[in-house]
Amino acid sequence: MTGPRSDHDGRADVEELAIRQAELVAALVAGGASPAGFDPARLAATRRALLRKRAGEAAKAWPLLAAAHGAAWPAVFAEHCAGRPPAGPLRDGWDVARALRAGGRLPEAAVTELAEREAALHYDGTSAPTPRRWRRLRRRFFGLRRA
Amino acid sequence: MRRVTVPSAGAVPELAGVGVGWRPEISGWVADRPGLRFGEVIAESIAPAVPPRGVVELRERGVEVVPHGIRLSLGGTDPLDPGKVTHLAACAAALGSPVVSEHVAFCGAGGLTAGHLLPLPRTRAALDVLAANVRRLQAELDVPVALEPIASFLDWPEDEFTEADFLTELLERTGALLLLDVANVYANAVNRGRDPRTALDRMPLSRIAYVHIAGGAEHPDDPGIYHDTHADPVPEPVFALLGELVDRIGGAPPVMLERDGRYPPAEVLSAELDRIAETAGLATPAR
Repeated sequence: MTGPRSDHDGRADVEELAIRQAELVAALVAGGASPAGFDPARLAATRRALLRKRAGEAAKAWPLLAAAHGAAWPAVFAEHCAGRPPAGPLRDGWDVARALRAGGRLPEAAVTELAEREAALHYDGTSAPTPRRWRRLRRRFFGLRRA
Repeated sequence: MRRVTVPSAGAVPELAGVGVGWRPEISGWVADRPGLRFGEVIAESIAPAVPPRGVVELRERGVEVVPHGIRLSLGGTDPLDPGKVTHLAACAAALGSPVVSEHVAFCGAGGLTAGHLLPLPRTRAALDVLAANVRRLQAELDVPVALEPIASFLDWPEDEFTEADFLTELLERTGALLLLDVANVYANAVNRGRDPRTALDRMPLSRIAYVHIAGGAEHPDDPGIYHDTHADPVPEPVFALLGELVDRIGGAPPVMLERDGRYPPAEVLSAELDRIAETAGLATPAR
């Protein structure tokens, strides 16, 4: 608890709500500890449902990667993305594709899809992908100055 | 197109009849579907300056289009994103929408996004946060906002209100309307071993702007839990609950189908929409 408060202390209640919301989100998508008082089975089911939803969205951004796995796609996605916060369908799918490639498990049908993405966009694995064309231009105009 | 006279719930007079959530994957079917009176578009999926061709064509047909926000996180304690509020208002202006809608939910906290709508604790603090954010949204809108209670099978230990009392209080405080999803009412009741009809009775039905209906199913990994997937057919008991709703409000509300994945062939979607119209007591359009 955050110091003394009464039942009518709306501000302290909202601060407590912020902490509880953050705990719940962290538990659901970032491998955080289960917050007190929630049904563990329902938390686990919610975690799985969120992963299935993300897998479905990633499949729209990475149709060949998802199709190559067929019905196993949600499980393949969950294997890599469980406990990792959503980064959006493009990056989520990209992370899965790279992890599969690193493990020698990227299906043949998805190799071109990944290669085309990597040719068009620069993705550092932690922030939003940027068009490689912009990077070349930026380097041309600002590169020397930075050096 | 044959025009049919239908009663409406009246909260948003421009909305009536049967509608559908427009999605790019079913744009062709929506374009060919006769008798649509209104639809929805996911606000975050469009640029108001250049709405998708299919949405523009709906407007040209005289079909009302409601921007449906899914990422505002109205119940979140993180500050409301002013850009998202402006975007939703711009969508409504661009589409000439009679109403916009969002959810009674939060989408993330502490710098993390959940990727989906999460349930709120039904507490006074959550009501304060929600009401303040809804008022901020209303201040930027020229049209009413309708709020949709979500489907969830997760309960907060803090809950002080029933879902219906929480909603009633929220709508009273803000003057917002209700977007009632009968599939969500069904899911929330059956996942707690309760009767959906009782849950319906307690909802502030007089505040309905329009109604959602969608499909769902159990998942093999979670036996005993009904998931509101929007990617399965509308099950019989959800149709039955729509019928119960029509009985309670004494007329057909504007009602629309939400389908977000595993799209079936056009004729299956058409049959489902016909069944919704028939259940709601709305005339089935000429085919």
